[in-house]
Amino acid sequence: METIAFYIFAILITGLFLVTVMSKNILYSMSALAAGMVLISGLFFILGADFLGAVQLVVYSGAVMALYAFGMMFFDATRNVKEKNSSGTLVFLLSGLSAVVLVAIFAAPSIGANIKPLVTGAKGLDNPHVIGEVLFTKYLIPFEVAAVMLLVAMIAGIILASKKMDKSLSEVYIDTLPEEELKEQK
Amino acid sequence: MDGYIIGTVIKAILILAVISALAGFGTYIERKVLAFVQRRLGPMHVGPFGLLQILADGIKLFTKEDFIPSGANRIVFMIAPAITAATAFIALAAVPLLPEFEIFGVTIKPIVSDLNIGLLFVIAMMGVGLYGPLLAGMAQENKWGIIGSARTAIQFLSYEVVTGLSLLAPIMMVGSLSLIDFNEYQAGGIGNWIVWTQPLAFILFLISGFAETNRTPFDLLENEAEVISGYATEYSGMRWGMFFIGEYANMITIGFLAALIFLGGFNPLGFIPGGIAIILKVSFFFFLMLWVRSAWPHIRPDQLMWLCWKVLMPLAVINILVTGIVMMV
Amino acid sequence: MDLENLKDRNIGEQKYRMLDLEPTPTTGWGKFKRVLRRSVKLELLVGLKVTIREMFKALFMGEMHTVKYPFEKLPISPRYRAIHEMKRLLESGHYRCIGCGLCEKICISDCIRMDTRYDENQRKEVSEYTINFGRCIFCGYCAEVCPELAIVHGGRYETASEQRASFSLFEDMLTPIDKLKEQKEYPGFGAVSPNADENIKPTPLAY
Repeated sequence: METIAFYIFAILITGLFLVTVMSKNILYSMSALAAGMVLISGLFFILGADFLGAVQLVVYSGAVMALYAFGMMFFDATRNVKEKNSSGTLVFLLSGLSAVVLVAIFAAPSIGANIKPLVTGAKGLDNPHVIGEVLFTKYLIPFEVAAVMLLVAMIAGIILASKKMDKSLSEVYIDTLPEEELKEQK
Repeated sequence: MDGYIIGTVIKAILILAVISALAGFGTYIERKVLAFVQRRLGPMHVGPFGLLQILADGIKLFTKEDFIPSGANRIVFMIAPAITAATAFIALAAVPLLPEFEIFGVTIKPIVSDLNIGLLFVIAMMGVGLYGPLLAGMAQENKWGIIGSARTAIQFLSYEVVTGLSLLAPIMMVGSLSLIDFNEYQAGGIGNWIVWTQPLAFILFLISGFAETNRTPFDLLENEAEVISGYATEYSGMRWGMFFIGEYANMITIGFLAALIFLGGFNPLGFIPGGIAIILKVSFFFFLMLWVRSAWPHIRPDQLMWLCWKVLMPLAVINILVTGIVMMV
Repeated sequence: MDLENLKDRNIGEQKYRMLDLEPTPTTGWGKFKRVLRRSVKLELLVGLKVTIREMFKALFMGEMHTVKYPFEKLPISPRYRAIHEMKRLLESGHYRCIGCGLCEKICISDCIRMDTRYDENQRKEVSEYTINFGRCIFCGYCAEVCPELAIVHGGRYETASEQRASFSLFEDMLTPIDKLKEQKEYPGFGAVSPNADENIKPTPLAY
């Protein structure tokens, strides 16, 4: 049962991500990306990691939503994008090589059959509790460092974006004009 | 195992049938309530009290020509309404709708899948549901559609933070993400309802719930006065209807969530048995949404962002902080 | 709204009042204080209160605005000018029209057509009287000019019909003889005003 589900999910995810890479339409590739991310959470659910599955849903639906926002700004979603591709073989070789290296890195331990869970939760605790316990005991410092990093990124983002935030865009535009033009306009 | 699968399938089909019927009924209730508030009569002439108006609307929606504009992106245009409708029902899978009851000697839990992270799953699924409007708007070759989907994006990014943070304080108190645990935590009558200990979280959750279901103070996505019909501008027939089934199903889900998390869920209320109590609570929230729609005007997108990021989010964080300190002491 | 107000054109109560709006705060602290004050005073709930009050009024106090039109009708003004009616004399039952032809003359859209002849008593008799309602603009001159108050405007404003000839023959407009007792004098256009006696000055007979 779980094997069937796994293969269905695996085939769908691979197919969707292929669409993401291959499609020339911004809308197709982003929708395929979003759908793939949602289906990955299905894999987590199969493995019994309910919490991670739900977090995958929440985080990636928001993240891809932001991508959509950029896509909306930069592209016409109903037209195909003209890709500038100077050397097809080079792209193929580089991406293929990096894919092979990645697969090798992640497949090596499972081929060597020495894959072990680093943390086994205590019996009788459900999924979120185990994650919470591990995060706040064994991995407390990496967790806090990651949190501080996100905070720094957030503050930096706010500072970058908040320049002249109180003015409307047309006022900002007028400020950049040289004096003579302003006089002419008046 | 087989019994479990069959039971789950039956439950899923029942929920699909009942909730989509209720969604149709919801349109009738909405028209009636708005009419009464404006001292009109609402639908009157089709059937007793205009009840068969639902059927008439259904026939109209099903038989209307379902066209896809030539400039639109066909596949995405066709998928988008299905996303809204499907995720609305998937979200209901983790919501316990009624208390356990026995029928033919079998105890039945009216929940399709009792996940131990039920709450997170429901919120996540409802969040994914906003992909429907987003994709619908972007698939059209239409400026109103694009504006609608841009508004979807900002609305999603604004309210989702508030939803999560406002629910965090009750989650800390209960210590679980399962909605059944929430229900059992409040088993001791009205005094044990979380709304008394977390009134701020309740209000924040309601506000972000309104944003989540695109109800009136925040229905920027399809605000007729500003953007024609937003993401639904080019939709017709049943595809348009699916957006609205999704919206009404979401309203029911938010009603269930608010009732389960803050108002004591399906615990018996005095002499009222639990099943009826939760239906009354959900009906109240449904009515509240219509009531608010009749009273308050829309707000602008920038006001929504201002509200969510500058007012509600700090309040939610302060609420979590205070809850944490109180729990520690 | 009752008929009196409708006649007096006195719609609405005209009790206007200026809102004492405070000036909009410009500083951040002022804005913050205003938001805080408004949230604590629960100003938003006032709107909810008003709507639910209206709902209760409509449902339980019988203040529903809707008029179920084909089943219920609002009273119309007595001066309303709809399809014409021809009146009868109350005593004899004979129609009032004396065939003078003033209405035909004054009609500015030229839609009244009448033919008269002498009957056996050498009285004028209306042999044909039609109004072309496709052309009539319901100006009311015919009713105003009629010396006998024979042609007046009635209250039938639902004028959709299958045939061009509907309503417009003399027999259609004439009060049916069996309904003579229900015939009401028309108070509107062309009628004598209720206080006519007061308005008339006695003719100075000393001339």
